[in-house]
Amino acid sequence: MYDTPNSTDASVTQTDIKILARGVQVHYGEKHALKDVDVDILDKTVTAFIGPSGCGKSTFLRCLNRMNDTVASARVSGQILLDGEDIYDKRVDPVQLRAKVGMVFQKPNPFPKSIYDNVAYGPRIHGLTKSKSELDNIVETSLKKAALWNEVKDRLQETGTGLSGGQQQRLCIARAVATAPEVLLMDEPCSALDPIATAQVEELIDELRSSFSVVIVTHSMQQAARVSQKTAFFHLGNLVEYDDTQTIFTNPKDPRTESYITGRIG
Amino acid sequence: MTDISSTPAAVPSKSNGVSGSLLTESPLMKSRNSAEVRFRAFGIAAIVVALLTLAIMLFTIVRDGSSAFFQATLSYPVLVDGAVVDKAGNGDPAEMAKVTTVGYARLLGDSLVRHLAEKGITVEGMMDKEITDMISKDAPARLRNRVLADPSLVGQTIAVDAFVGGRIDGYMKGRVDRDIAGRDSNVTVTQLDMADKMIEAGILRSKFNWSFITGSDASDLRPEAAGMGIAFIGTVYMMFLVLIFCLPIGVAASIYLEEFAVKNWFTDLIEVNISNLAAVPSIVFGILGLAIFINFAGLPSSAPLVGALVITLMTLPTIIIATRSAIRAVPPSIREAALGVGASKMQTVFHHVLPLAMPGILTGTILGLASAAGETGPLLLIGMVAFVTNYPAGPFDGGFLDPASALPVQVYSWASRADPAFIERSSGAIIVLLLFLVIMNVSAILLRRRFERRW
Repeated sequence: MYDTPNSTDASVTQTDIKILARGVQVHYGEKHALKDVDVDILDKTVTAFIGPSGCGKSTFLRCLNRMNDTVASARVSGQILLDGEDIYDKRVDPVQLRAKVGMVFQKPNPFPKSIYDNVAYGPRIHGLTKSKSELDNIVETSLKKAALWNEVKDRLQETGTGLSGGQQQRLCIARAVATAPEVLLMDEPCSALDPIATAQVEELIDELRSSFSVVIVTHSMQQAARVSQKTAFFHLGNLVEYDDTQTIFTNPKDPRTESYITGRIG
Repeated sequence: MTDISSTPAAVPSKSNGVSGSLLTESPLMKSRNSAEVRFRAFGIAAIVVALLTLAIMLFTIVRDGSSAFFQATLSYPVLVDGAVVDKAGNGDPAEMAKVTTVGYARLLGDSLVRHLAEKGITVEGMMDKEITDMISKDAPARLRNRVLADPSLVGQTIAVDAFVGGRIDGYMKGRVDRDIAGRDSNVTVTQLDMADKMIEAGILRSKFNWSFITGSDASDLRPEAAGMGIAFIGTVYMMFLVLIFCLPIGVAASIYLEEFAVKNWFTDLIEVNISNLAAVPSIVFGILGLAIFINFAGLPSSAPLVGALVITLMTLPTIIIATRSAIRAVPPSIREAALGVGASKMQTVFHHVLPLAMPGILTGTILGLASAAGETGPLLLIGMVAFVTNYPAGPFDGGFLDPASALPVQVYSWASRADPAFIERSSGAIIVLLLFLVIMNVSAILLRRRFERRW
C-alpha cells in the first residue's frame, strides 16, 4: 500500500523538490492564520495535509496557487518557490501560475456548461490547442485520467451539473488535469462524496502521482494514510510535523501529532 | 412499552406520562397553532385586498376607456368637385394645395346634404348648416390630405368615412342626452334627432378608430380627432434609448463594483449614493434634466433624447441595484472554479458570472424600464407635455431630437382637459400604456425562463 520511493530514499536531491516553502505566514486581517511554515513538496509524490478544522491547512494549500489573492483581507509573507521561482514575486501573474498549479475544491463545482466544455475550458483559455481534434484529444485523455470517460463518452454535450456528486468531482479533476498542471492541489476532494466515489477518487490520485505532484488536504486520517507518501500535520496555524506518512502514523515525534492521530485532539 | 399488544392496559397510563398525552393539544401548542392560523388569514386577506383593488382598477379603466377605441363615423359618397379643389384644372398638386380645408368642408357638407335628400332623411325645421355642422372639424383636413396624395380622385365620387363631432359621438356613447344638448352651444336637439335617423339609415355607425392609436393629438374643440400616435412613438423611442444607455452603463458599473472594486470608504460612499439616488423623487431628475441637458447642453426641449437621458439617470440606480444582486447570487464556487483553472478575472466574469447572472439582470432591467415607461413627472419639466401635431422623423433621420410626447404625459394632459370626451380618451390611453407594460413584463419573464440555468 505504502509505495513511497522518495521517502525511503534518504538522498532527496534539490531537483526532486517541486515546491519549497520557507517562513510562510498568513494573516486574515488581525487573525494570524498560519505561522512560519516550512515545507518541501516533492515532485511526483502525494503530500497530505492533516489537522483539526481551522488549523491552517487549507489556508496553506491556497497559498500555493495564490487563491488567497482573491480574499481581500488576506496577507501572505514568506517565500514559496515553485521550481526555484518565487510565486509571490511581483512579476508573477497568478493567472499563469494557476495554469501550472491546478486545484480541485471541496465541493464539486462544475460549470453549468456541457461536460465537454467543462474540460475544454482550461485548454481553450490557455491556448493549448490549435485544432478541434487536438482539443477533442485533450478532453478524452483528461476524462480517461479522471476515470470518467467510460461513463460520459456518449453524452459529452450534456450539462456537467446533471452528473452525480462523485462524477461531478471527477469531472472537476478532469478539468484541472486538462490544463496539464505540474502540481495538483486538492482541498478535501472527497468530503462531499460517498465511500464508493471516495475510493474511485483515491485510486485516481494514486494514478495521477505518476504525472505530477499532488497535494491533498483531508480530514480523514485513513485517507491520508492510504493515498499519501508524505504527511504534514498542522495545528493552530503551526506546522507541527512533516515527515513520511508511515512515520507520522506509526512513530510520530511530536506528542500533539500523536494525540491527533489517536483521536485525543481535533 | 416494548410490547404494546401484550399489555394493552399499560398503554393509557404510559401515554399520560411525564410530558402529557400526544392526543390532546397542550396550551402552548394551541396558542402556537392559532398564531399560525391568524398569520395565514392575514396573508390571504392581504392578497384578496390587493387582487380586489387591481380588479376594480382594471374594471373602471376598461369601462371608461374601451369606448375611446370606437368613434361615431359617417359613411357616405362625396363628390370631389374639381371646380372647388382644382380651380386651375391641371391637377398640379402645388396649386391644389392652395385650397384650404374650408373648400373641402364645403364638399363634405354639400355631399352630405345631397345624400340625405336622396335618401329622404329629413328632420323638420333643420337647416342645411345644422347638418353640415355635425361633421367633425377634422374631417375636411383628412379629405384634403387624401385628395392631395392622390389627385386622380378629382371629379370622382368617393366613399368617405368622416367623424361626426364629439358631442354626437358622446350621444351615441350615452354621455350626452337631449337635456344636456339643449343647454350646449356645440350641439342642438335637432342634430341629435338627425343622428337617430342617420343611425337608422345606416349612415352613422360606431367604427373602430385606428386614428386614436396612430393619430396625433387634437385641439380642445375636436376631441374626436385626438390620437396618441405621437405619444406612442415618443414612448417607444425613449424606451429604446433608455435601454441602450442603461444596460451597458448599469451592467458595467455593477460588474466593476461587485467584482473588481476594492472595498474601502470610497466604494462604500458610492454604494450609499446609489441607494440614495434610487430614492430621489423623479421630479428632481426632471429639474436636473432641464438644467443640464436643455439649458446647459442646449439640447432641444420635448425631444425623446432628452427624455431618455433623464429617465436613464432615474432608472440607472434601480438597474445597478438589481444587477448587483443578480451578480452576487452567482455562487462563489463558480468563480473559484474558473480562477482555479487559470481564468483571468475578466474571463471569470464574462464566461461564467455574467451568463449566470443574465436572467436576473434582464428581469431587473426590464422591470426598471417598465416603471420608467410610466414616469410622468420629469417629462413634464423637460417639455414633453407640449401639444405636438407633427410626427417625429424616423429613428435614423434625427427623430430622437424631434418634439414628441409620451404616453403617461398624454394621459395626464387629456385628463386635465374639460371635455368629457378627453377623459374617455385618457382612459383609452391608459389601456394602451398598461398593455405596453404587460408586454414588457411578460417579455421579462420569458427572457428569464429562456436564460435560466441550473447549477
